[in-house]
Amino acid sequence: MNATACYFVIGMQNENAEIARGLRRRDADLLDRLIEQYQHRLLRFLIYLTRNREIAEDLFQETWLRVLERGGQYDGKHNFSTWLFAVARNLAIDALRRKKLLSLDAPSPDDEAPADIPASGEASAFDLVAEKAQSERVNKMLDGIPAEYREALVLRFHEDMSLREIAAITRAPLGTVKSRIYRGLSVLMPRLKGVRE
Amino acid sequence: MTQDVHEQAREWIACGEDLAGAQQEWLQAHLQGCPSCHEYAEAAQHLVRSLRAVPIVADRSLVQSTQMRVRARARELRQRRERLVLVTLSCALVAVSSALTTEFVWRGFEWLGRWEQLSNPVWQVGFVLFWMAPTIAAGVLLLANGTHLSGNGASQG
Repeated sequence: MNATACYFVIGMQNENAEIARGLRRRDADLLDRLIEQYQHRLLRFLIYLTRNREIAEDLFQETWLRVLERGGQYDGKHNFSTWLFAVARNLAIDALRRKKLLSLDAPSPDDEAPADIPASGEASAFDLVAEKAQSERVNKMLDGIPAEYREALVLRFHEDMSLREIAAITRAPLGTVKSRIYRGLSVLMPRLKGVRE
Repeated sequence: MTQDVHEQAREWIACGEDLAGAQQEWLQAHLQGCPSCHEYAEAAQHLVRSLRAVPIVADRSLVQSTQMRVRARARELRQRRERLVLVTLSCALVAVSSALTTEFVWRGFEWLGRWEQLSNPVWQVGFVLFWMAPTIAAGVLLLANGTHLSGNGASQG
């Protein structure tokens, strides 16, 4: 490991330990900062998991309340985001079971299109329209694949998580995670190809 | 080349990490010689770019209301812990004072029983009732008010 990477890893470990200490104290200021920091990532994950923005927003709030109440369980040895996403995932599964949506794959009639991030202003109007159309298509395609593939793809490519982190969140063996990503891509690719042609 | 070789290459392309140097070299060589896997790699890159371009953003109001709920809950949990500390301290004090005073109260009841010419079981029952009265009263009050940990009962959730 070179010096820069070593410095980065030590920095991450210190940050995680700091978060763990703050959560044990139930430090509201720390939680405010974490909510700000992870707002988009967590909501995006929950929307992809539940495919319903309203449920995802409820779960977003429940997740942070759970983080407050069970913060003492976070040991600071792993990335906070891994623990956070695992908490959110468990809540989402419980919520969907309560709503008798036993399968995460069942289509939800009141699905909403996700809100857009304002464009940067550098792209042309045509690019923006094309990009938005492409995003909508990808969204629709993601909705059509099995939930465990969608979850693995979102964690890997949206959240840039390592395979080990995804395995920790989903409590699946590493091989299963790899297989889900591979199969998920394999299911999506012909559809995307069909759209491009 | 067998089908397994292509599947292996595509799995490595899909997962895209933790590849050792030799594996990377093998994959690069395979991609140069295999048009279908090369096309797969390009399609995978395009798909990943498309996935990353999907924009989802949390509303400001959602973030603020979450922060407010979390703060309110943190306050509630802190108050609950303070109450629990108070109850624990009270219990400890009661236990100590009981241990120190039981013998004197017992003697007092015995003296009263003799003075009133009561039989032993009568003043002994009186002693037990006197001793349990505060606990029973506290129990009834707590039951009437929910649990001693629930605060005013309106702030749950």
